[in-house]
Amino acid sequence: MRSIAIVLLGLAVAVLLVACRGGGEPAPQMQSAPGQVQIVTITAWAGGNPQTERGRIGMLEKAAERLNAQLEREGSNVRVRVEGILDTSGDMARKFVLAAQAGQAPDIVNSSHADIAAWAQAGFIVPLDQYIAKYRDSTDLKDIIPNLWEPMRFRGATWAVPQDTEARPLYFSKPLLRRLGWSESDIGALPDRIRNGQFTLYDMLRVAKEAQDRGVVRPGYGYWTRPVFGDNYWGGDFYQFYVAFGGSLWDPQSGRLTVDREALRKFFQFHHDAIFGYGVTARTVIGGTEWKQWHETVSRGDQVLFWNGGVWQWAEWAQGYLGGDEGRLWDNVGFALIPAGEPGRRPTTLSHPLAYMVTSEKASGRRNQELAFRLIALATSPDLNSEYAVQSKHLAILRTQLNDPTYTRDRFLAATSYMVEHAFFLPNNPDYGRFDATLGRVLLALAAGQLNVDQAVERAIADLQSAVPELVVR
Amino acid sequence: MIEGMIEAWTRLVAAAPRPAALGRRWLGPLMCIPALALVTAFLVAPAALTLHISMTDMSLSTLGSVQWVGLENYRRLLSRPELPKIALNTLLFVGVNLVIFNLFLPLAVATLTAAWEERLGRLVRPLWLLPRVTPSVVYALLWVWLTAPAPYGTLNQLLAPLGVGGGSWLLSYPWPVVIVADGLVGTSFATILFSAAIRAVPRELWLAAAADGASYWQTFRYVVLPLLRWPIMFVATYQGLSLLASFEFVLLLTNGGPGLWQTEVWSLYAYHQAFSYYTGGLQMGYGAAIASLLVGFGAVASLVALRLFRFAELTAEPRLRAV
Repeated sequence: MRSIAIVLLGLAVAVLLVACRGGGEPAPQMQSAPGQVQIVTITAWAGGNPQTERGRIGMLEKAAERLNAQLEREGSNVRVRVEGILDTSGDMARKFVLAAQAGQAPDIVNSSHADIAAWAQAGFIVPLDQYIAKYRDSTDLKDIIPNLWEPMRFRGATWAVPQDTEARPLYFSKPLLRRLGWSESDIGALPDRIRNGQFTLYDMLRVAKEAQDRGVVRPGYGYWTRPVFGDNYWGGDFYQFYVAFGGSLWDPQSGRLTVDREALRKFFQFHHDAIFGYGVTARTVIGGTEWKQWHETVSRGDQVLFWNGGVWQWAEWAQGYLGGDEGRLWDNVGFALIPAGEPGRRPTTLSHPLAYMVTSEKASGRRNQELAFRLIALATSPDLNSEYAVQSKHLAILRTQLNDPTYTRDRFLAATSYMVEHAFFLPNNPDYGRFDATLGRVLLALAAGQLNVDQAVERAIADLQSAVPELVVR
Repeated sequence: MIEGMIEAWTRLVAAAPRPAALGRRWLGPLMCIPALALVTAFLVAPAALTLHISMTDMSLSTLGSVQWVGLENYRRLLSRPELPKIALNTLLFVGVNLVIFNLFLPLAVATLTAAWEERLGRLVRPLWLLPRVTPSVVYALLWVWLTAPAPYGTLNQLLAPLGVGGGSWLLSYPWPVVIVADGLVGTSFATILFSAAIRAVPRELWLAAAADGASYWQTFRYVVLPLLRWPIMFVATYQGLSLLASFEFVLLLTNGGPGLWQTEVWSLYAYHQAFSYYTGGLQMGYGAAIASLLVGFGAVASLVALRLFRFAELTAEPRLRAV
């Protein structure tokens, strides 16, 4: 009996030790024998929709073939192999931070440019200026649309390469406008009227109210914002309306976050009017609507009169909700810039580029930085990016793409490319997340009827000053 | 596996020749070492680490250069205007959930099903287990779809013919929905415990009470219920502390909203500050301070509960021994 007990105990201890050993050994980075080809595995993470945005990894995989051909021409015995993961959880950024802290980050990460500030400050990514200077002329990096480098910079250095960009239009329902009595020429002229500042946000609310009063749309279906439910709040889209009223989010010179009191008031007033004044926005949109419900409703094109979303959603609706029938979208849905807040202001849209970043040795535990950058540089090519842009309905990042038949043949991309000229970008500031969360909480409280506009303004400024010590209040 | 290890260790020690100098007095402490090692590794060490982190400025912004800040996070926390609201939310969430869904309802279900024929009781009691065995996200999604605004929500679809409802029940009545959804999960645990405890009451006591003319409910009230003191104490303390630390359904259903902290509970506040990426900036030092205060409160609450239920009496040596 005693011997059995000893054996059992020993087995239990052995099992515990094996279980506590931690994750499996990482795959060997370099596999080679002396004089033979050395295969370097470059790992890459990206987040996105698996139906439309798989290209974020796919472009790197195709670039690996080109890089291997280059390396062979250079006489190098190094070859690269890409191991990419497209994370569909929506939580890739947090996973990356935890991995980087543990020294297990991938060599390349594709994420929002808004992550640059925090990750650069934490030492997770490396500045790319030296690599850009070395490889710019021999690659298509020189062809990147110049203003897209702006959101890649933080504290004087360039930390990322743009991978895609987009715009966030105001969509509108053509059949509902027809039922309201708009002619085809009225409907066709709407985007230009918005572009010229002749149709403002309050004009939109008035049209939506009219549609509601005449029974063209159900109450609360006149205008829908981006949906908010649970922890999916993300303020970027909402700040278009703050900017439309003349607000700014940051001072590019100092890098400090800013809030303009008057623009903030008008921003809150607009949303309050939409929900409670004009009553054209259902309360449940901001706080109680899931993405799936929102997509299913707006993509039909005959339920909601106006809504704001992103250009990439055109592909999601066509492929995910309309069975591939993009023609139905063209029949039912129009799109334009976000209208100016009031006469004299300019229309706007948010452009939120995603970018490829190269991780540091501290974050990844590896020294593949230059190889990773070369891979990114080769992935940034007109043919690869156009193929991705057409599939995902993101906008061009290279000047040459604007003449690329693959890109220009796409009717939607051709029709929306002008929006980038009117775009603003989110700040590259490590405190932006707290800024966004704080302002978002106040907006949600306003939408829930817990605060009126004056209370919301005072509460927002007080909370923002507490959350972001270096905030500039104008 | 743990029990097997302990048993094997016990037999090993019992079978091993003991040096005269050790004596039996070392046997107890020696046998506690495995359990103490686990408690130290998985409870004490993390708590100490959390306390340490709570005194640093660890956040997404400072990951490369974390600094010691002493009690600054605690000072900042105690000056937050939302703190009283969050504390009240926590008391509401724990109190209502514990009393109704972890004590009253399970006792009622256990009592009723104990009075039924055993076959019927055995069919009904497992139904209460369904919320517990369903994965949390799936269960929360069911509640979201149940309470969604028309035309999507099941509740609205059922009530539409009566001309009632239409909006989002979750948005309009967040606390009732959260408490009921969370409470039904806890009910199953206590129901099983109370059912087993009721069945463990010696049959002779039931017969003796019946012989004295007591009805079923009188027997339950004056004979059985006092015998349930131990399981009630256990459920109240265990589930109370669990509720203090739990936030999964608040997170999945309302994320502390809608609006300003409406359903934000203490543990969720700690989670938001420490682990929300975009929305919290990963303020791990600050979040650790919030969590440390919760641990402290939990420890005090445990001691109070043990005193209230006269735990010492329950575990005292019996005055009479079987001969």
